[in-house]
Formats: sequence, C-alpha cells, structure tokens
Amino acid sequence: MTGVLETTGELHVHGTVVGQIIADSFVLAIGGFVDGDILARDVRIGGKFNGRIFAPNVVLDSSAEITGRVFHTNVTVASGARIDGRMPWRPVNFFASLSHLPEE
Amino acid sequence: MFTRNEKPTEPTAKPQVRDKMETPVAPGGDIGRKPATSQTPTNSGASRMSAVSVISKALKITGQLESTEDIQIDGNVEGDVRAVSVTVGNGAKVKGTVYGETVEVAGTVEGKIEAKKVVLTNTAHMAGDVVHQEITIASGAFIDGHCRPDFGKTATKPAAVAQKYPSAMPEKVASGAQ
Repeated sequence: MTGVLETTGELHVHGTVVGQIIADSFVLAIGGFVDGDILARDVRIGGKFNGRIFAPNVVLDSSAEITGRVFHTNVTVASGARIDGRMPWRPVNFFASLSHLPEE
Repeated sequence: MFTRNEKPTEPTAKPQVRDKMETPVAPGGDIGRKPATSQTPTNSGASRMSAVSVISKALKITGQLESTEDIQIDGNVEGDVRAVSVTVGNGAKVKGTVYGETVEVAGTVEGKIEAKKVVLTNTAHMAGDVVHQEITIASGAFIDGHCRPDFGKTATKPAAVAQKYPSAMPEKVASGAQ
C-alpha cells in the first residue's frame, strides 16, 4: 500500500508499505518492506526498511536490513542486522515534541 | 636427552589414525592465529591466553597503538588503535580510530570504528562512524554516528593504494598541475 498510515495503537506490517507511518508501536515483520518514514514510540524491525525512523525505542532484529537514518534515544541491534546509514541520538523530549514527521 | 630414536613398537595402525584425525583440523584453522603459533613454537595454551596487551585503568597514552594480537584498553588513549581484537573496557576512553577484526566497546569511543565485527555493549558510548561487516548494539548503548556495512569493500587506506600503484598517484598530480 502507498500513502500515510496513521494509528494510535500497535501496527504490524508484513507486506510492503511505501509512505509515512505514524503509530504508537510499530513492528515490521520478517519479509516486510517499508520505504518511507516511521514515527512511533517503539519500533521493531525484522524486515527491510529504507527511509527514516523517529522513535525513542528502536529494536533492529538480526533479519533487519536498514538503509537511511534512525533517530533514537535507545537502540538495540541484534547480531546479523544490516545497517547502512546514520544513527543520530536524540533526547527523549525531542520525540515527545514530535507530533508530525519533520520535513527533510 | 630424551630424543633418542627408538624402534616404533606401536602397531602401524595407530599413527594412521592420528593422521586422519589431524588432517581435517588443518583447513579449518584460523588463518589469523597461525602466524602467532609459528613465531613461538613453544607456545602453550596458557601463554596464548596472555597475548593481550592491556592498557590499564591508570594509564593515559597519546599516540598510535598497533598490535598483531589483541589489545584491551581500560585507560585513556588518544590516537589510533590497530589490533586483531580490540576491547575498550567499561570506563575506558579512546579518541581516534579503532581498527580490528573484532572490536568490542563497553567504554567510550570518540572517532571511528573500522572492524569486521563490532559489538557495543550496554555501557558503550560511541560518537562517530562505524564501518563494519557485522554489528551488535546492546540496549542502553549510546550511538551517534553513521553505520556502514562496508568493511573490506572499500579501499579505506589510500596510502596502501599509493604504495601498490605508485605510478598512479604522480600522474594524477601531474595532470592536475597542467
């Protein structure tokens, strides 16, 4: 699917999403693919991702393949995960003040 | 005194078995470890364990560290570190680039890590880029930098290239001058 996906609950993606995702908790399952931006409190990635992640808590599983930027406060990367991109650290209140995905 | 040749009293079957057991071990041997054992033939298991150079907690070093074996840093290093396996202990600090096959960080690194396998434990503080092939980051570790899975892919040592192809470099300079 393509477009903006916004939910206040937990969102699991097993397929392909191109666009923006805003959720409280987001899980990209193994085999899933997201191209775009994610804004959430908790993010767990098991699949392929290209774009930006804005989340205080990020977990990248061993099957994850990430390109892009991961804005985080606390990040966990499992052995085997493929990371290509910046991982800028931000304080928690940076995410608290973030209600929309920033431009750029 | 004990090297006197004696007639082999053992049945011939026994050495054959030994050969068979030894041959599969050889191809699986770690290439990186082999030179170390050949340099010191009298090496026992215990002395190989002590092949780690330790920068202790009280020590501060400014300059380049290079080891053909392992380095454990518990103190303060300002400069580049290059070894097979580098461990930056909890409370330790390195300002510079850390090169290695395996780099494990529990302390602070400000600069760059270039290693095949990178491990950032929960007390790690990593400010800078990480060039890796495999990376593990424990929850609680601080990381602010660029992660690239390019270890071994790109020619990160232009000096080595210049040495290998000395003719390539002056030509470029000459053409640029004209």
